[in-house]
Amino acid sequence: MRHRITFFHRNEHGIEPSSLEIRDRSISGPDLVAVREHRVTLALEELPAELQELLHEIHELHIRWGTPQAHDSLGPWNSRLPPGLHAFYTPQTASAADSTRLCAQLRAAFGDLDCSSPSESFTKLPTDRFSHSTAFQYFQPLDTLTNLAIYAEQNAVSLDLSYDTISHAVKITTRWPEQHQELLIDSHPDHRTEVGILTPDSPPHLEPHELGVTGLLTVLGDDTKPSPVLFSFPSRHKDAGSTFSAAYLSPLGLHPTLQLRINFREPPLQDSSCSLHAYLTLPRTIFADKYQLGDELFLSSKNLTALRYISQPVDLEAPDYAMKLWGSSVLLELRPPNIQEDSPWTAEIPLHLRYLSPAEGGYSSINVPWPAVFWACNTEEGTKFVSSPFDRANLGYDGLFGPRTLFWHVTPELEGRGDFNHQIRVPVLDLKKTQWVSTGTAAVVLVGFAYIIFKLASVYWRTGHGSQKLATKSEKKKQ
Amino acid sequence: MASKITALISRPFPLFASAAVLRIGMLLYGLWQDANSPVKYTDIDYLVFTDAARFTFSSSSSASPYERETYRYTPLLAWLLYPTTLPSAFCFSLGKVLFAAADLLAGYLIIQVLQRHTHMPLDRACRFASIWLLNPMVATISTRGSSEGLLGVLVTALLWAVMERRVVVAGALLGLSVHFKIYPFIYAPAVIWWMDDEHMARGGKIKREVSKTTPLGYIVAFATWDRIQLTLISLATFMGLNITMYGLYGMPFVTHTYLHHVTRIDHRHNFSPYNVLLYLTSSSSPLSTSALPPSSNQYAVQHWTSKMESVAFLPQLLLSTVLIPFVGAKKDLPTTMLAQTFAFVAFNKVCTSQYFLWYMVFLPLYLPNSSLLRKPVLGVTALTLWVSTQGLWLQQGYNLEFLGLSTFVPGLWLSSLAFFAVNCFILGLIIDDLGTP
Repeated sequence: MRHRITFFHRNEHGIEPSSLEIRDRSISGPDLVAVREHRVTLALEELPAELQELLHEIHELHIRWGTPQAHDSLGPWNSRLPPGLHAFYTPQTASAADSTRLCAQLRAAFGDLDCSSPSESFTKLPTDRFSHSTAFQYFQPLDTLTNLAIYAEQNAVSLDLSYDTISHAVKITTRWPEQHQELLIDSHPDHRTEVGILTPDSPPHLEPHELGVTGLLTVLGDDTKPSPVLFSFPSRHKDAGSTFSAAYLSPLGLHPTLQLRINFREPPLQDSSCSLHAYLTLPRTIFADKYQLGDELFLSSKNLTALRYISQPVDLEAPDYAMKLWGSSVLLELRPPNIQEDSPWTAEIPLHLRYLSPAEGGYSSINVPWPAVFWACNTEEGTKFVSSPFDRANLGYDGLFGPRTLFWHVTPELEGRGDFNHQIRVPVLDLKKTQWVSTGTAAVVLVGFAYIIFKLASVYWRTGHGSQKLATKSEKKKQ
Repeated sequence: MASKITALISRPFPLFASAAVLRIGMLLYGLWQDANSPVKYTDIDYLVFTDAARFTFSSSSSASPYERETYRYTPLLAWLLYPTTLPSAFCFSLGKVLFAAADLLAGYLIIQVLQRHTHMPLDRACRFASIWLLNPMVATISTRGSSEGLLGVLVTALLWAVMERRVVVAGALLGLSVHFKIYPFIYAPAVIWWMDDEHMARGGKIKREVSKTTPLGYIVAFATWDRIQLTLISLATFMGLNITMYGLYGMPFVTHTYLHHVTRIDHRHNFSPYNVLLYLTSSSSPLSTSALPPSSNQYAVQHWTSKMESVAFLPQLLLSTVLIPFVGAKKDLPTTMLAQTFAFVAFNKVCTSQYFLWYMVFLPLYLPNSSLLRKPVLGVTALTLWVSTQGLWLQQGYNLEFLGLSTFVPGLWLSSLAFFAVNCFILGLIIDDLGTP
């Protein structure tokens, strides 16, 4: 097992190297204001037996969890995701997708998930688009990691878990937001533990897509004093320095419109092609209609450019209670104004609600995460994103872009209290009022039916089933 | 002014010209609105049909209209819309032109039936046909690109062919229209019942003398060559088309065109009296992955309502395919077909305003001798009730769909039941008229 702990702080929050105390297998020092990341790398044989067995079914698995609470980003950790639990999965064999084992383990780790098996509950990702995405995707809103207290302790903002058959190792990465961090770390003798305290810097020859850092590295047990470092690495996710907020226009009805309000700044890179996107993970209770989002005029009236991707299939008719698929993911390109304006700029995304199960009171509440909003910029031909020590890949949307894309993230900002989930009140059939529905419907239909039968019978009584002409003729004969 | 309008719609040329101008105007207006407004004039279904046509005539090896989600129609419709796949806005609208032309042809056939079989003078026939031809609802539906107009012409053509004693044509039309939209199968018993010796007697033919004293005799007397011919030809057309389409497009054809209508849940709000009940039962069926804890009460409800749901087709089919044709077909075939359609739509498990077009096409044939026209107060009352209960429902639907209010019970439920009651009242009037010579 290897353990890497990184503190990343702003330049002004630096600490004196001499204030660090390194003794045997521990490091301590003054508290510091920083973002903290723990990365644990486990070899297969270090895992519990049941997990080892599960991993035999897996070719690739990436779990990404993000908090719905507001937090700043710093250093190499600028990537944003819609808050909740994301899973990206490629099975070892096609039949493994039918196995319920992955869902059972996910439930054990994360609590009550609406997941039965990958083939039933996961969406299939496109294999023809770019080769670097997994075969399946799953998402569910999840506010806290109560079942994973060991890793996530208090108030972690994100948790990543990655496994693939090539590296044959499980990587678990947890991040805490920028706050006062206690600096006191003990390590286990069998584990290699590395502690880094880093801050941004600009080494010479820094490329625009790179991040430069400087600071101190210590391998506990090996080093007696921290070694100073200065290095740079490619960083795909950057902070665009602007903010957005998201709200549903009222009244919501059954066709709510999500309005994104962006405090607009010009594209982050002037000399390369950048486009603004919103990536949505929509639980199956709410969906976008790709046909509605196909009309040029309609899109531009909403300040949208195009629907770049929507997971398939999205049933446009089925009620929530007749579906097993988790939902759908959507990538929309937004249409920012040509000229920079001072007034905030909005884009509107039309969505549709499914019918939900009847409930007492006539309303049910659903949780829909805010989207991730970012600029995607193409870097020059020949730019290489060699694997970075802090790279966060397999986020859902990165697989929909080419390998030389930089993501400049727009920070979500709350306008009031709350978190980055929208609660939507959906009108449903009120279970308290349904006791008369069956009887009432049956009675009315039967009365209507009986009335028609009565009418038919009276016509038959008067004239029989023959033609009018025949009846009048025979009457005449009688006369 | 009024007399001028009457004069205008009393002669075929001005009538058809104004019907055509109305549709051309709406079509052009629709093109303008589609090009200039984010709110579209064109019906979503039209985009489904034209997408399906594009898929059908694409060069891919799996070319099939069922590549388009929610395409639930016969491939014939996608074939008919081949011209819409050609690149230009004009060509794209050719499907609407086809649907509008179908409206006009249906109007022409209505006049033919009125003139030739009810011996109505041409000017009066034209005035009644204008109820269909100049009906803004009919013109809107076809120019927005809904295919119901095609059904209108198929069904009127069926009626015309039967009244003209063109048995082969009638059989082919019956088979074709059932292949197109299933529901015209209800006309088969009416047509067959109508085709007795009296109605089929072609000038100078001598009636066959068959003893009707034994049950076998009845059957032999009933099974006339005309009836056998109609049955065989309609079955052959229907099955021939189905086999061809199955051969071309395989199982998706069967699944989407036919099986979909069996398995669909129909939970979304619509005019049907069963609607709220279906929402309730579909959500508590074992198939659904409802998050609700299964309370014993809920299961008790489920137990007998699911039974009721599965017998809902009984009153509908009993009325529209057995009782109404039996009592009415020999008396007045067009009015019987109207009553059948009316019953079928009113008692259906799903009902939207497009379905109203199915019976509207018979109105010009029924109204001339109806009590609704003879007693204007009755007619106006019936129309007012029909419109106002729909309005009531639409208001509840608006509150649900656009304001997000939970109006399922009592609002939507009671207004759908009220609309159903009004439908039964009107159907009762139509049936009364069947018994009045």
